[in-house]
Amino acid sequence: MAHAHSVKRHTGLMDWLTTVDHKKIAILYLLAGGLFFGFGGVEALLIRLQLIKPMNDLVSAQTFNELITMHGTTMIFLGVMPVIFALMNAVIPLQIGARDVAFPFVNALGFWTFLFGGILLNLSWIMGGAPDAGWTAYTPLSTSTYSTTHGVDFYTVGLQIAGLGTLIGGINFLATIITMRAPGMSFMRMPMFTWTSFITSAMILFAFPAITVGLVLLSFDRILGANFFEVSNGGNPVLWQHIFWIFGHPEVYILILPAFGVISEVIPTFARKRLFGYSSMVFATILIAFLGFMVWAHHMFTTGLGPIANALFSIATMLIAVPTGIKIFNWLFTMWGGQIRFTSANLFAIGFVPTFVMGGVTGVMLASAPADYQFHDTYFVVAHFHYVIVGGLVFGLFAGLHYWWPKMFGRVLNETIGKWTFWFFAIGFHLTFFVQHFLGLMGMQRRIFTYLPNQDFDTLNLVSTVGAFLMAVGVLLFLFNCFMTAAKPKGVANDPWEDGRTLEWAIPSPPPEYNFKQIPLVRGLDAYWKEKMAGNKEMTPAEPLGSIHMPSPTILPFVMSVGIFIAGLGLMFSSEKFNNSFMSMIFNNWIVVIIGLVITFGSMLLRSLFDDHGWHIEPEELEEEGVKA
Amino acid sequence: MTSAHAESVNGSLPHEPEKATLEGRNKVLGFWLFLGGESVLFGTLFATFLALRNQTNDGPTAHELFSLPTTAAATLILLVSSLTSVFAVQAMHRHKAAALRLWLIITVILGLGFLGLEVYEFHEYVTAEKFGMTTSAFSSAFYTLVGFHGAHVAFGVCWIGILIGQLYKKGLTVVTAPKVYVSAMYWHFIDVVWVFIFSVVYLLGKVG
Amino acid sequence: MTTVEQHQDDTVKHGHRHEGPQKHVVVFIFSIILTAIAFATVMAGGVNVAFTVILLVVMAVLQALVQLGYWMHLKDKGHLMPIIFMCGGAFVAFTAIVTALYWVWW
Repeated sequence: MAHAHSVKRHTGLMDWLTTVDHKKIAILYLLAGGLFFGFGGVEALLIRLQLIKPMNDLVSAQTFNELITMHGTTMIFLGVMPVIFALMNAVIPLQIGARDVAFPFVNALGFWTFLFGGILLNLSWIMGGAPDAGWTAYTPLSTSTYSTTHGVDFYTVGLQIAGLGTLIGGINFLATIITMRAPGMSFMRMPMFTWTSFITSAMILFAFPAITVGLVLLSFDRILGANFFEVSNGGNPVLWQHIFWIFGHPEVYILILPAFGVISEVIPTFARKRLFGYSSMVFATILIAFLGFMVWAHHMFTTGLGPIANALFSIATMLIAVPTGIKIFNWLFTMWGGQIRFTSANLFAIGFVPTFVMGGVTGVMLASAPADYQFHDTYFVVAHFHYVIVGGLVFGLFAGLHYWWPKMFGRVLNETIGKWTFWFFAIGFHLTFFVQHFLGLMGMQRRIFTYLPNQDFDTLNLVSTVGAFLMAVGVLLFLFNCFMTAAKPKGVANDPWEDGRTLEWAIPSPPPEYNFKQIPLVRGLDAYWKEKMAGNKEMTPAEPLGSIHMPSPTILPFVMSVGIFIAGLGLMFSSEKFNNSFMSMIFNNWIVVIIGLVITFGSMLLRSLFDDHGWHIEPEELEEEGVKA
Repeated sequence: MTSAHAESVNGSLPHEPEKATLEGRNKVLGFWLFLGGESVLFGTLFATFLALRNQTNDGPTAHELFSLPTTAAATLILLVSSLTSVFAVQAMHRHKAAALRLWLIITVILGLGFLGLEVYEFHEYVTAEKFGMTTSAFSSAFYTLVGFHGAHVAFGVCWIGILIGQLYKKGLTVVTAPKVYVSAMYWHFIDVVWVFIFSVVYLLGKVG
Repeated sequence: MTTVEQHQDDTVKHGHRHEGPQKHVVVFIFSIILTAIAFATVMAGGVNVAFTVILLVVMAVLQALVQLGYWMHLKDKGHLMPIIFMCGGAFVAFTAIVTALYWVWW
């Protein structure tokens, strides 16, 4: 048994391209997610500018369709999902007392695949037009008959690739949470963020394959001339709606559950109280996940499934209010009688509670099928889902970022700017979306690029646009805060909030690459808090100091993703008529697809043939670092 | 974490070498999770097929198209190959590397036989029956479902083939053992999916 | 570890008892019989369609369960998580199939 395998340590850019360290992958996810979030935000501002006044002609109807499609798709798949994955990567191995994730290679592969899928999707803007069939890409609008540019091809192929990355990321976290927990950390001692991430990953596992199939069917229709949704040849567009929403509804719970987890971490920390009703929180999370798979047809009430189906899905949808209500009350009772500190993280967490309740209430309204016939495709729906996704998820993500920033980067974000961020964002958010409820009730249709004057829409739309810009100011303040903080020296304490409850606060900020010098022994829920209350300064180790095995860095995940990216481009343009005969030759004969697949499968083969022995950090090195710190 | 990659068959290889290391156990568990996702993937493909199975657009129908003897032969081949991969894993647990390789080689040959039959079948449909991807919604759904399964078989054949090579070169170790075990799981899963394909696509197609 | 109540054909030097091939051959024969029943019913023809459909589904599910349990070892100890996640996958697949059967055409 050889001990020290020599391993090539990379620096600079190569370090980031080859890293398999979950903490660095977290930062990569945050950067990429932030970038796409910026794209989606600019698209949102353009939408709001177009709607600032009646009969505006800032953008054309076609561009408007592209903007709303790309705004929705980008925000959901490329904006908030990666930021969720950033938090999961940064925090979960630390919270469960693990040195690493179960599959570091797969973790890196998941990130790069997501990134290249996102890049492919956004290339559409400069390669002949973005997708324009809405983020749901309903057929027949999205078939080649009605959507003649390559826009929807960018959508199907780009999302397929990005979705693959998300799926394998989800599998990695499931396995990590199942097998890598520290001694003593039973499932019912896991922090809530870990629990919600676990359930979210399980939902990713079961929901994403459905959209994989849906996207395959749509691309076969568009590229190979298949007839899944081609009514004249026997296809059925309703099938697409079902497949999309069998994925799509769980997807929105995939988004919100991690936010629930963040709130369940932030509120107890800053209330200096343990989370009220921990086991009911776990139970509610599982129940929400289960019900999340049972309610997809409430997006299709007006499709005409009939009164029985509509009634069933109505009731199932309303049921979700029960576990969600349990969570809301648990958060309130956690704060009740606590010594609440209004840090920026906690402001976002507390702001989350009423905002999310408002989104939930309109959700129950929409769940009523007869009423939904009135609400459907109006701004009421737009207001509803922005209340849950922005007022819920994005508030949660801001709370999580402010909360864990010191753990990720070793520097606390500026609290004053953080509070300004919150107030700008929160006020801007309510200005933007609260009025949209009324616009919807007054009959303003969503996804239409303009509206006529004198329908009482004018003022409310103006208010909404002003609000959107206030939100943008909030986001810019956050960015400014990040850059300003990055310029400051590192060196915050292990537990900068001083009331940290979970294991991540027991180790340095940012943690060393092996996370825990010795794997800690967990003696209860809120493991670190428990030790602090017992008068201990550190966790009790569960193992003697020993040599630590680490996985080797590798460029293969990056190369594999490049291969998939090339194959995806080749597939999209396989039947394109190029002016250039060389281009036609390589694309029309599938040569580009083959090159891409050879790169990907070749890298896979290399990974299989050459064992990764990893490398070791010896106890002496640990001691040295201990002295330095 | 153990790094027992240097151990060989002659050393103290444990009874179930695929579960000897944390990496090995993670791999098996992770693969089970992946199969959970694959179930949804195939479930959705089956759903699509079931929704569109009668949409023949004046093209060939399932009843006219399918020949049950071919399907029965394909079924038998795949079922036997699933059994041989069980034997391969049993040989691995007994640390009989030669028997392990032999059973895997038989599995791969059977897999190739299945693929050959499927290619022949598709070829007949396209040329003799004028039943292509674009013929009808039924044809699209048929080729996509059965083709996805066929692609899985093809991937499995390549994968197990590469593992046989690795077993010759590296021998049976705690690194190669989980790969063999996981590939056997994959192969069984493909067989289970086929059980539903011959029941739902072929037999049900004949029933009408 | 191997199950004690099953046949053991050999015990290797380090004391582990190995399950024999007999159990798996039995599963194989069982699978063949189920497959044969399904094929025979359809090939013979003339059987009530609704009955045939139910029979086919039951035969397929039985065969899948046996192979998952024995060949893929889901029935062995330490497979709680795989069972949970396979059931989850099967459940979502089932909802998709029910949907396709009842809510796509009406």
